[in-house]
Amino acid sequence: MDTASFQFVLFGLVAALVSNLSRSRIWRSIVLLLTSLVFLGLLAHNPIVFLPLAVFLLLGYITHVILQRGWTRSVGWILCPVIFGYIWLKKYTFLPEAFLSCSPYFTLGLSYIFFRVMHLLIETGDTSEKRRVGLGAYLLYTLNFTTFISGPIQRYDEFARDQIASDPIPLGPRVIGLQLERIIRGFFKVNVLAMLFHLVQEDALAQLFHPLPLSFRLYAAFKLAVVYPLFLYANFSGYIDIVIAMARLMRVRLPENFDRPFSASSVLEFWTRWHITLSTWFKTYVYNPLLIALMRRISLRVMEPLLGVFCFFVTFFLVGIWHGRTSEFVIFGLLTGGGISINKLWQLGLTRAIGRQRYKALANDFVYVAFGRGLTFIWFAFTLSWFWADWKQIDRVFAALSVVQWLGVWLAAWLCATVVLASWEWLFAALLSIRSLEGPVLTSRYVRVVYASALGLIAMVMTALLNQPAPDVVYKAF
Amino acid sequence: MIQSNDKSNGHMKEAKLPRRDWILMPMLSLLTIGLMIGSAELIADRMNPVLRDSLKPMSQCLIMSVPADGYSALPDSDCWDKELEAPVEIEYRFNSCGHRAGMECGPKPPGNYRIVMIGASTAFGFSVPREKTIAALLPTKLSLQTGRKIELYNESMLSRHPSVVPKHFDEVVAASPDMILWVLQPTDIENESPEKAWEPNSAKTGFWARAKIRIKVLFMTESIPDAVRHLWNRGVAVFDETAPVVQLQFLLEKAFYEDPRLYMKHYLMGGGDSGFMQLQTNADWQNRLRYFDRDAADTLGRAKAAGVPLVVVLLPNLPQAIMISMGEWPEGFDPYKLDRELRTIVTSHGGTYIDILSDFRTIPNPERAFFPWNPHPNADGHAIIADLLTKRLTSGTISALKVTSQTQAEFEKGK
Repeated sequence: MDTASFQFVLFGLVAALVSNLSRSRIWRSIVLLLTSLVFLGLLAHNPIVFLPLAVFLLLGYITHVILQRGWTRSVGWILCPVIFGYIWLKKYTFLPEAFLSCSPYFTLGLSYIFFRVMHLLIETGDTSEKRRVGLGAYLLYTLNFTTFISGPIQRYDEFARDQIASDPIPLGPRVIGLQLERIIRGFFKVNVLAMLFHLVQEDALAQLFHPLPLSFRLYAAFKLAVVYPLFLYANFSGYIDIVIAMARLMRVRLPENFDRPFSASSVLEFWTRWHITLSTWFKTYVYNPLLIALMRRISLRVMEPLLGVFCFFVTFFLVGIWHGRTSEFVIFGLLTGGGISINKLWQLGLTRAIGRQRYKALANDFVYVAFGRGLTFIWFAFTLSWFWADWKQIDRVFAALSVVQWLGVWLAAWLCATVVLASWEWLFAALLSIRSLEGPVLTSRYVRVVYASALGLIAMVMTALLNQPAPDVVYKAF
Repeated sequence: MIQSNDKSNGHMKEAKLPRRDWILMPMLSLLTIGLMIGSAELIADRMNPVLRDSLKPMSQCLIMSVPADGYSALPDSDCWDKELEAPVEIEYRFNSCGHRAGMECGPKPPGNYRIVMIGASTAFGFSVPREKTIAALLPTKLSLQTGRKIELYNESMLSRHPSVVPKHFDEVVAASPDMILWVLQPTDIENESPEKAWEPNSAKTGFWARAKIRIKVLFMTESIPDAVRHLWNRGVAVFDETAPVVQLQFLLEKAFYEDPRLYMKHYLMGGGDSGFMQLQTNADWQNRLRYFDRDAADTLGRAKAAGVPLVVVLLPNLPQAIMISMGEWPEGFDPYKLDRELRTIVTSHGGTYIDILSDFRTIPNPERAFFPWNPHPNADGHAIIADLLTKRLTSGTISALKVTSQTQAEFEKGK
């Protein structure tokens, strides 16, 4: 149930069907709460394991009530127990082991619950108009099964606008068709594309350590370098496609989490297209307050851009280390934060060197964009080495070839990514330019029916052929 | 990928779908699926020309008069088959008794020690030329080792799983064996089913009565979820046999499972098939072993009544062989588990069990001894198995085959 499996899709479709038996707000809320509780029950059978999560949720709600009653002067201190509770439950490795609980408990989806709770608390503390969120609505918002495992991180006001509205958003045949097509697409991405990319990665990893001729090992290293971002995208965005469509069938609009991330021509742009709800959360609750606080203290105008660079580094360093509890993720955070800061410095430096107009012209240049896109992809792929591997594996992988050979592999991967992604962008634009009266033919309902049928058939065949459980959603671990 | 969701997300009224679309769109979907299946079938046929038109396909030599009896071959028939991985077309020539024995049926020549081999596809020599099968190699090796004239009469047949073996036991006895060698593979146990209990009726009644019995058996002996899973697996098995699926599976496995460790890992992830190696109790496999116990008792009882020693051996499948050869396997699995369980069952019914699984520790790269897609040993695999069987059969387990300094003449004299 915690994967993009056929059972999960079926569960969501049944929930949507039951939810639509009445347009009543109460009925839809009861159905969502019950299905979310059943969903939790299917994930773990022993109710005791949910106790820490329940206490965490209760702590969040009590904090919300305190803030809602006007205790907003020291929001920071009030939020501390919630943050500390999260760190304790997640068992971050920097905490002393004796301090952590030995008995097993349920932590799946905890990070996403934390983001939702923190957002609710900060907004409650910040706004002058105090809005009361009832316990029922709070539980619906935090336990919603469509966003439970891996997000997307939805804002409370957006959730309430759809779920608790007396007049629910319309759901006609066109919308239903689009959502079904999106579920099939998501299922295909997770169960076929991600599965195949994962096999390629495993195969490449095995070949890299075999006593094979150098050319074979270089090719294996190349595959290893480029395949993981593709796998991660197919795995995570496929799952997100499924849950967004499921929620829409239940008349709730979830925020988009991906916007063709490999089209990004810079690291800065990439993070506006990849895991959008996470980077937006961090920009809203880390980057902006930090920048404002620093600008209040350091009023030199010349320092302003550098403060921005620093805030970007801190924000994306936190984005990086959020992904895991081990030291590998510190490196991932440093590389993510470092990459985005260097990108910002490059922009600032180039603008200063050649002038704003010429920089703008350069930023729109086809070749510059294409190489930028390739470099962004490869940088992301490189940083992900600390995401999928532990130190032992990282050591083995990098020791399998010499430094010069690895440099050659990454250079080849950059050039290859540049050409392939540029060709893909060109093809995509060309296909979208074929238009009928209703818009691009590629996105017409007829073409969608055709490729949804094809993808559905392929997904079914592959699922039956490989005869393996649905692959795990990588982001559920965080 | 196109990320756009519905643009009419808000409270704006959704444009009505034209009436023609209610027919056109399902038709488009069906047409797409039909075209894909049709073209896949065509491509598969082109990529894998199964057999030349001039040759008689295998299906024309096999008969199944009563389903419970399994396949038999037409006497004096000659058919051909070409599997994806097999480098050449393979001839299957059956003698006047319908056996791929490489000799005529009838009484054994005086002085010869005759082994009758029974079993399913591997013992039959599926996808391997007869002269390279265990059946052809083993008697030569045994004769060399023991100095006796040893012949092997092969009565194995495709899908002759343990539940079918007793049905054909009269043929085995008619071949006047000195020893019966029963070759098993994990798939034989996997194919064990409870249906035998109903078989006296099923052979005589009509289609609907048999269907009713089948349903009754299915739901009486398994829980409803298990029965549904069972039916689903059967459906998948039928679907897996279609030409494009076979072709696709072959290409996939060739592309991704070249590394034996990866192959093993993904096989073990598959669940059902690898249940016989799982240390944790697996209800399906426990049931199958129960049914095997029933069939082994039947078969061994018949052998005992005929006064012929029956020797049982389990051959490993590819993942099992890889695990044993590498000497490592994931926690929760044991490649020797089924071997131990079969030994207990066989010896409890008075049979002799020989173990060749442990000898695979000395076989490097066992993946080269099996076809990559179909789970059978190739010609190299048959040679390896024949060697291992020779070693075990002559080690003293079977007194008549024990390696001594006696010559054939001395044997005959002693007799």
